[in-house]
This record gives sequence, C-alpha cells and structure tokens, in this order.
Amino acid sequence: MKTRSLLLSLACALLLAGCAQYDNQRGVEVSWRESATRDLVRGQSTRADVLALLGPPSQVIALGEETALYYLFEHSEGEGLILILYNRMRINTRYDRAIFFFDDNDVLTEYATQINERD
Amino acid sequence: MLYRASLLAACLILSACTQWRFNLGSPLKKLELPPESVTYLSEVLVMLGPPQRISASDGGYVLAWEHWHVKENALGFSLGLLGADFMSIDVGDMYAKGEFLLATFDREHRLSSVSRSTWDNRGGGGRAVQPFFSFVDVVETGDLVGRLPQHRWGASMLQRLPEALNDGSDPDAGENGLEQRGTPPNVGQRSLEMH
Repeated sequence: MKTRSLLLSLACALLLAGCAQYDNQRGVEVSWRESATRDLVRGQSTRADVLALLGPPSQVIALGEETALYYLFEHSEGEGLILILYNRMRINTRYDRAIFFFDDNDVLTEYATQINERD
Repeated sequence: MLYRASLLAACLILSACTQWRFNLGSPLKKLELPPESVTYLSEVLVMLGPPQRISASDGGYVLAWEHWHVKENALGFSLGLLGADFMSIDVGDMYAKGEFLLATFDREHRLSSVSRSTWDNRGGGGRAVQPFFSFVDVVETGDLVGRLPQHRWGASMLQRLPEALNDGSDPDAGENGLEQRGTPPNVGQRSLEMH
C-alpha cells in the first residue's frame, strides 16, 4: 500500500513538473569581430568604410560636426523549472556592442568593440 | 489516510511560489585612472569597452556602463479548497542589486568627470487579496529589466503623440542626456510624455 502511494505521488510529481527555455535576440547582426575590424585604422578609415563593413548601426549620435555610430546586439537566455508549487526562472542578458567616433571630416578617431563569450 | 489527505489539501491550497532572476550585463571593471594626467576617451574605451548608454551633450559626450541583478519572489495562495474559490492571496518582493558608472567627456574627448554608484536594495513588493484571479501584480519589475533604448532609436518619431512631441528632450534619443533604468517618467525630461 505504501509503495503504491509512493509511486502515485511520484507519478503526480512527474506529471505536474515542467521546464521552460527562453531565448530572445534583438539588434543588429554581430559583424564587428576582430577579424572584420582589424583593417580599421584610427585617423585613416572613414565612416563610409565602417558602414560598408558593418552595415547600418543601431543608433547614430551627433555632436556638432562629429558623429558616433553605435551597434548593439542584445541576447537574453532564460531557463525555468516549473514544479507548480515552486517555480524558478533565470534570465541572463548580455550586450554585444561596438562604438565608432568620427571627426568633422568623417575620419575614424576612436572605436571599441565587445563580444561576450557564449555560455 | 487523513494525514495524506491533509497533506494533499495543504499542497493544493498553497498554490505556488515563483522566483525570477534577471542578470543584465556583466559586472563592471574598476576604472583605474592615471594620477594627475589627462585621460582621453580612447583610454577609457580600452579599459571598459563600449558603453551600454551614450548621449551627446552641450559640452561633449556622456557615457554609461551598467550591471543589474534583479530578484523577484512571489507567493500565491488559493483558498478554493476552503470553500472560498472566489479569493486568492498574493505576496511578493523584489530586490535590485547593481552598479552604474557614468563618465563625461568634453568636445576634445578629455575625461571631465567620473561617477560610480552601487546599490543593493529592496525595490518594492506588496500583498493582495483579490477576487477570482490575480488581477494586480504585487511585484513590478518591467521598468528595470526592459531592453536598451538603442533598439527604439529609429522609431522615436513614430511613438504616440505626447512622446513624439517630447523627442527633443527624450533621454533615449542619444542627443539629450541619458537616464538609468527605473527612473520615474513623471518628472524631469519625460514629464511631457504624460505617463
């Protein structure tokens, strides 16, 4: 009788248990890897070079005659445990990004890139 | 038998405990500034990488890096088995931990100020007795875990009218300063958006 109850409880627990997986990606394609940007030279490369290499940015920022191009890729990954009585969800969001500054002659003055390692 | 039935009833009455964990970004590196020397934008970008937020300002650029960890705990009780199936009880709490680094640069790209803040606070919570369903959330985290504003930049003039009219002061535009997550929209630069 006890074994039967135990098995019934276990079956109930398994039937009522669940899991969830979540993945969400927003932004521009990550094209600013080291292999792609190594040819960019501060003081020589132009805004046209960067746009040709990386495509349209997420945002354009203007300061007087200067401009900055900002590229952003946002990636959220989540996983969850659903046990009806107890549920737990964990979501990690990382931001791959790149920024390029240009002077009033559209020449690249500074830039930085960051790509987070995939788990 | 009675014991088992009571245990089952208790499990059904205590309907659920739910925990959410949000981790946004990576922990910030320490900004080591060389003593008594001018620091340029290029050096800061090498130390910290591209910022999460950036805006032009009258005097130059404002850059911000951030890391957030948000915890949300919610506990819900249903009184259905006690004969009160028209009523539910909800209890919730939220905690936010994070760091924010703000750096401003003049038009010559020289660092003009740095400010860093860290926090580990209770961000709110509540209790509710509600009829039939949980109509009202007792924990609100939407304004802390949303997407970065750069994704909406191109559509800034396609928002509903009060927000489109406020485009000249919108902190998401990248030309008018920036704001941290969770900044109340009813005051300051967003007050014209009539939230």
